[in-house]
Amino acid sequence: MTSSRIEALKKQKQMEIRKKNNQMHYAVLGTTITFMIYFMLINYHLRLSSFWIIGILLGITMQRSRFCFASSFRDPIMVGSTSLLKAVLLAFIISTIGFFIIQYKTIVLNPDYLITEIPGQLSPVGIHTAIGAVLFGVGMVVAGGCASGTLIRIGEGYMMQLVVLIGFIIGSTLGAKHFVFWDKTLISKAPIIYFPKYLGFFPSLILQLILLCSLYYIADWYDKKNNITITM
Amino acid sequence: MRLYDKIVKKPWPYWIGGSILAVLNVSLLIATDSVWKITTGFLYWGAAVLEKLGYNSADWYYFSAYDHGLKESETFFNNSYTVLNIAVIVGALLAVLWANEFKWKKIKNTRQFFFALIGGVLMGYGTRLSFGCNIGAYFSAIPSFSLHGWIFAVFMFAGAWLGSKILFKYIL
Repeated sequence: MTSSRIEALKKQKQMEIRKKNNQMHYAVLGTTITFMIYFMLINYHLRLSSFWIIGILLGITMQRSRFCFASSFRDPIMVGSTSLLKAVLLAFIISTIGFFIIQYKTIVLNPDYLITEIPGQLSPVGIHTAIGAVLFGVGMVVAGGCASGTLIRIGEGYMMQLVVLIGFIIGSTLGAKHFVFWDKTLISKAPIIYFPKYLGFFPSLILQLILLCSLYYIADWYDKKNNITITM
Repeated sequence: MRLYDKIVKKPWPYWIGGSILAVLNVSLLIATDSVWKITTGFLYWGAAVLEKLGYNSADWYYFSAYDHGLKESETFFNNSYTVLNIAVIVGALLAVLWANEFKWKKIKNTRQFFFALIGGVLMGYGTRLSFGCNIGAYFSAIPSFSLHGWIFAVFMFAGAWLGSKILFKYIL
């Protein structure tokens, strides 16, 4: 290699480093603005400030850990790896305990609780759940990502996920417009099934934890089995 | 500096990511009395656009049923979902900027464009039937001890399987 070529490479490398450092300025600026918005929201609307800061942390965590719910389903089949699925199951184990404590505290204070007063996400279950989930699963494969993944990719600069977002907005708006039909035919007849109401509080917790741990154990076994076949 | 590299440059292990997401979801429920949900926010944006175009989307049956309506003093654009969704995007953006990895990535061709659009529409429509997406009807529903979260998980998996079959057979 001639010395002029080496010089050119050196210059190119320096340019690259300088270009990279440019992003640092944006990072500092962006972080400052993020904190400014946070402190503004604390004064203006405390509840929204929690949404803001937790949302920021959710975004950072998902981006940094390359977390992807779509892959957690796909990887076990396509490549035989369950490390993401195990991480999702671990998240379920932690949040099950956390949600349990919150729900339990609410209900101990009010033993004649209404199902709508329970903290968390409780919705009617029935055929509509299955139809919606199948549509969602097909769409997830076609679009190449789920709802949370779409938001993360937009933050990373993917134009394609902006299109997915537009599709998402169109689809959910259409779905809401047609909701009368689905509600009359299916949803209004469907119950909310809240396990503690049928099984009791602690049995529900224990059963769900046993189920999640068993799934974790199976996923772990499946992962090891596949990795052994690969190395052999 | 090594710790800095570990946090900012290198990907975090999945199990750390999962644990933090779980703790954040529990924190959100404690702080706001609401769990992590995404797609209702997308619907609200759609309804906001329709309102701007002169439609009375707020009168739809959907918004008067199942606690689907806006909270007091919220509008279709100014609400907690908007804040949370934009925050997730900004969080991801900050993470890539600190790692010096941000890059605009263009759409490769019209085919990719239509796949993205159709996939999005299917997911969006599905979420109205199932009362949520992989976050609202799965990640936040299973820890709430509601059966619909488990049903959603099973059928989302079935849908993903069906989707890949369709893709392989007819399109690719």
